[in-house]
Amino acid sequence: MSSVGEDCNELKQQYDACFNSWFSERFLKGQTDDSACAPIFRIYKECVKRAIKEKKIDLREIDPIFETGIEDDNANRSAGNHQAGKS
Amino acid sequence: MKIWTSEHIFNHPWETVTQAAWRKYPNPMTPSIIGTDVVERRVVDGVLHTHRLVQSKWYFPKWTHALIGTAKTCFASERSTVDPERKQMVLKTNNLTFCRNISVDEVLYYEPHPSDASKTLLKQEATVTVFGVPLSHYMEDLLTSTISTNAGKGRQGLEWVIGLINTEVKGIARGTDELLHSTRRSIDEVTESARKSMDEISAQAAKAAKAMHIT
Repeated sequence: MSSVGEDCNELKQQYDACFNSWFSERFLKGQTDDSACAPIFRIYKECVKRAIKEKKIDLREIDPIFETGIEDDNANRSAGNHQAGKS
Repeated sequence: MKIWTSEHIFNHPWETVTQAAWRKYPNPMTPSIIGTDVVERRVVDGVLHTHRLVQSKWYFPKWTHALIGTAKTCFASERSTVDPERKQMVLKTNNLTFCRNISVDEVLYYEPHPSDASKTLLKQEATVTVFGVPLSHYMEDLLTSTISTNAGKGRQGLEWVIGLINTEVKGIARGTDELLHSTRRSIDEVTESARKSMDEISAQAAKAAKAMHIT
């Protein structure tokens, strides 16, 4: 199972492993604190967002549930866009 | 518009099925799903909300390419909630890249079986809409049957993952390397046969198209 960004694969494996154990060992047992995997998730998510932008995938509207103002991801974007021809 | 629904009972408790649902891919029955990424994830009021990007490869028959494009890799957006108190997992998926003419929406509900809590009930709905394409009814039928085939494979795939998790839990004395090796081998074998069966479906659809003089 691979990530949309080839260079995110290793981060994805690490994050998924962390999440899977958190989900079964904590979340399903009533512990909803999700800080355990937060550091690796932050790095992995940055990597994925970069890949999504490079591949010009339009995710459409982001669910309002995620728009609580914690993330600020337009702040330090590099302008390195690949202008791939449309097929 | 075509709507397709189905129900399935897993002989495993909800907790096992939801764990497996996150680890559903890869499995040998759905080689079409080639990647998943979590885009956002957050716990709000005890409910886990997740937004994933799912990459898949759909093998449509050649004759449809002129109508819907060659759809090599498709991207879908999957939004889900897991409520551990109500014991409900809901996943809503909609495709992002078939092309502007087609919309496929799918919803999965995992809940404990109402009369037997040791089992899990899966309810599945898919809506296929084709806009402004000649033969759109025919296209909708074709897509619906593809979804139906894939859904069956998806359920088998989930059972496969549950088996894997149960094996892990039991801590069978086999080395991890050996397990991985044999898993990989069986994935390759089943992937091959799944490809073959999709090819057969494609060949039959092409035959049908020829009969209708549209190739």
